[in-house]
Formats: sequence, structure tokens, C-alpha cells
Amino acid sequence: MSTHSLERAPKLAPGEARCPDEPTTQQIIARDRVAAPGWVRSESYEFLGDEDISIDRYIDPEFAKREYETLWNRTWQFACREEHIPEVGDYYVYDIGRQSFIITRVAQDDIRAYYNACLHRGTMLRAAGTEGCTQEFKCSFHGWSWNLDGTLKEAVCPWDFPHVDEKKFSLPEARVERLAGFVFINMDHQAQSLIDYLGPAFMAHINEWKLEDRYIYCHVVKTLPANWKLTMEAFMEAYHVINTHPQVAVSNADANSQYDVYGEHVDRFISSLGVLSPHLRGQYTEQDVLDQFTLGDSSVVAGASRALAEGETARQRMADMMRGMFEESMKSDLSGVSDSELLDCFSYTVFPNTFLFPGISLPMVYRFRPVPGDHRKTIYEVFFLRPVPQDGSRPFPAAPVRIREDQSFTEAEGMDPGFGAILDQDTDNLLLQQAGLEATAKPGLTLGNYQEIRVRHFERTVDKYVNLGD
Amino acid sequence: MATEFTRFCKLSELPAESKKAAKINDTWVMVCHSNGRLFAVSAICSHQFKPLVNGRMRNCAISCPVHGARFSLETGAALDLPATRPIATYELRIVDDWIEVCI
Repeated sequence: MSTHSLERAPKLAPGEARCPDEPTTQQIIARDRVAAPGWVRSESYEFLGDEDISIDRYIDPEFAKREYETLWNRTWQFACREEHIPEVGDYYVYDIGRQSFIITRVAQDDIRAYYNACLHRGTMLRAAGTEGCTQEFKCSFHGWSWNLDGTLKEAVCPWDFPHVDEKKFSLPEARVERLAGFVFINMDHQAQSLIDYLGPAFMAHINEWKLEDRYIYCHVVKTLPANWKLTMEAFMEAYHVINTHPQVAVSNADANSQYDVYGEHVDRFISSLGVLSPHLRGQYTEQDVLDQFTLGDSSVVAGASRALAEGETARQRMADMMRGMFEESMKSDLSGVSDSELLDCFSYTVFPNTFLFPGISLPMVYRFRPVPGDHRKTIYEVFFLRPVPQDGSRPFPAAPVRIREDQSFTEAEGMDPGFGAILDQDTDNLLLQQAGLEATAKPGLTLGNYQEIRVRHFERTVDKYVNLGD
Repeated sequence: MATEFTRFCKLSELPAESKKAAKINDTWVMVCHSNGRLFAVSAICSHQFKPLVNGRMRNCAISCPVHGARFSLETGAALDLPATRPIATYELRIVDDWIEVCI
């Protein structure tokens, strides 16, 4: 792919823009030895306009306030994994802005989300961001307590509260739905179901992934110096790879990645790995491509021979190698898993604040939440998932590793150093971008029609909620 | 006050991811087997002095079942509110398949 000036770029009809003179993602995947399933071999791009995206959404604290009033309280959000609360009485506190919820397993098949505040004088019943197991939710201030099912258990000195109707003093609840091992909550009791919210196309995808059969083996938390939407958008395209991650581009079909949108709340890209970037055509050999391959956890292929035979492709060698070595290290059967699922980066946004990566080599979940009271900061979490062992055991989910704002992701215990370096590169841009948007004379972001469609799709849905009003 | 090692329980009585509490002299002690390691700590929460033994233990930490404070089993440090003070930790050793705790 050569570099063209904008003036000499071909004039295409809206929605026709694609990386010229290069195989598409679908063509790359079609050459694989172990064929990909239908959810990989499909496309769902939609042209959604080419107007600039207003920047007030990133820099105006009033916009952040409106998001709390109109968006966060109406959308389905990933609160925790079921593995966080496997036993009756287990709980996990999910916080979003100033709201806080105790997600608890009331019975084997009954999970509820209580507003996390004592109904007496308002003290949080459990501290933000904590988890544990209990038989009751007891306030640490005066000792009022609630049963697991949310009914009032004890009001201390009941003779002093003749005006309190016990039946009206159950803990208020948000809605809860479960999907693929994730527990979702929604504060809006009138909202559509989670299945309708996600839509039939995406439901057909997630039902194939069996994410309920994975467990969290690493969980890293870091506060990042930019608005939550800007932070999410740093991960929505492969357009930045050649510039931000030059070490990855050698083994990443970045400019010819595929972008899809599904209804209002889900979009994705497929970025093929083990294939040379179109930007670097002719500059590297197949052996270079294999040598530069990046994994979420490179320890699983440590020590493997990486010398290619005559005529062998880097992509096929990596797929074959990874199948065997991931099976060994994870003690899982991957014989039915396609080469593409083993190798490629599948990045899905589930609106508003979650990314799912169902692949094997890059098996992450991201969650983004605004720091309460500061629209310029984001709590970013990355969870790495692995298939549960075949022996039926289920390891405890990893405890979160919290690193400081000035620390590198490579310092986080359990983080693969190569992957940590990529996250550092992604997030090092954010402070400059946030500051630049506050300094700029230009009132909007200009987006590419194809490679940045996820950003446009995401912001359209942000606008939909914010413009709905209270 | 002089300290000495006291037999707590047989090693085989404390399988992986389990814990036991017992009073040694006048001190409630809890021995925990978490992530393949053994720890001896105070069995009483530093927050409102409730027993910790029925709390959930994961990844070398224990959470109080009453108000949710969480403590490192390795250092005794309070990891989560509402506790801010640590719990005591005690040296332990294995002698003839017995766990002994130094109080």
C-alpha cells in the first residue's frame, strides 16, 4: 500500500472506502487450513455519515453530568462475572459514578443487584470496589441489617421507628440479567431486555463463544488521564497500529482489518495476525512476520521453534504452533477451534463500556468507567480469560492488580510484558489527546469512513441516550 | 512477654483453601491455607472485633463476613474499608506434621 495524498485519493461513493490492492480480512481467513465459523466469516459494515464528531462530549463537565442522568442509568452494564460470586451469599460491589450496587447471589440461580446504601441514614453497606461473602448486609454505623433477599432483617431499637413500614424497607434493586458468565445490571426498570438490547446478530456470535467456560487469570486496573469515551476509542480501530505500535504492524493486517456494526449497541473489528501490514509491503519476510507475532500471554509458546520451512506461511505456522501449545498450557481441547479464532484479534464493543475479545491469543475483556467527579479520568480494567481446565476444576478469578497512574502496564503482576508495552503505547497518547482537544481551534473530530466506523457508531449511540433527556 | 510455639492442628486437618480458628492462651488465632501457603493471623476483625473465621478467603486475603473489611493474610494489612487497622500475624512452623504457631 503506497501513501497517497488526499488530493490523489480515489473518489469513492459513501461506504465504499477499503484498503486498496490488498486482500480483505475475509480473503485472508478463507486461506486458513482450519476453517472459521460463520460468526467470523460475515460482514456487517454500514456507512453512518461523515460529519465531524463534536468535542464537547470529551471536555465539558456538563456533558459528563448529562451522561450520568441519561446514559449510565439506562444501559446494560457488565457488573461482574458469575465466577466472582459462585456461592450463595457471595457479593461483588460494582460502582459507576456515584452509584454503587451490591451484586449478590441470593440463591443458586438468583442474582440480585441492590443499591448500596443503608435505608436508615445512607451509609454504604459495603465499601466501593469490594467483594466477599456474608449472610446479611449489616450497616457498620447503627447496625441495621438486611437479609440476602433484600428484606429488612433488623432495625436496631425498633421502638424508636414506629413510622417505618418494614415491608417498604427492602433494599431497592436494579435489574439483573446473565449472559455467557457475565452479570449485567440496568438501573432502568423499563429498559428492553439484555437480549433485545444486544440484538440477534450479536447474540448469535456470543452464544458460539462459550465465555461462561472461561475464568479470569489476570485482572489489571489503572486510572488513565482522559475522558472515558476517548479512552475507549483508543482501542476501536487498527488504523493507529502502524504509527503507535510499529513492533506489531509487522505481523498485523492493520489497514485491511474488517469493521462491522450490529444495531445500536454492538460493533467490532477483526484484525488478522500473522500477516504483514499493507503499509510495510515488500519490506519484511514471512520469517520476520513470524518472529514479531504478539500474544496476550506469550509464555504459552515460550521455547517453541520459530524457523519457517520453505513455502510455509507465518500465519499457518503460528496457528499450528498455538493450537498445540495452548492446549497443553490451558489443559483444554482446542481441536475444533479455527485458525482465525486462535490467531486473530476480535474486538467487540458492548455499549456503553465493555470490550469483549473472544479470540484465543488475545483473550481479553476491557471495562471503562469514568472517575466520579472528573470527566478527564477513566478507570480502565483489563481481564484476561482462559478456558477452564478440562478436569472440571474452576480456579478462583484473579484478584485485581492495581497499578498507579505513573506505572507501566509491564509492571503489573501477571501481565505479559509485550502486551503491557502495547497498552502503554495506547494509553500514552491519551493525555496528549485530552489536552489537545481542550486546546484545539477545531470543534470536531474528523473520522475515516471505514477504519473509524466504530468510533462514529459508538458516539451515535452516546448521542441517542444523551439527547433523550431525563 | 515470652513467646513460644504451640501445636495448632495436624497439617492434614487443613486442606487447601480451608481455615481453622482456635484460642491459644487468651488469643484467638486463625490458620489459613490459601494459594498453597499457610498463614497464622488474628481470628478477630480489627474493625468491630467480629470473628473472621466464616469470612471468604481468596488469593491470600480474608474478608470479614459482617461488614466486608478485607485483610492480607501475609502482612495483616487492612485492604478494604471499613477497616483501617491491621490484624496481627504470627509466625508458624511445621514440626512432625503438626502446624505450630508462635504466640
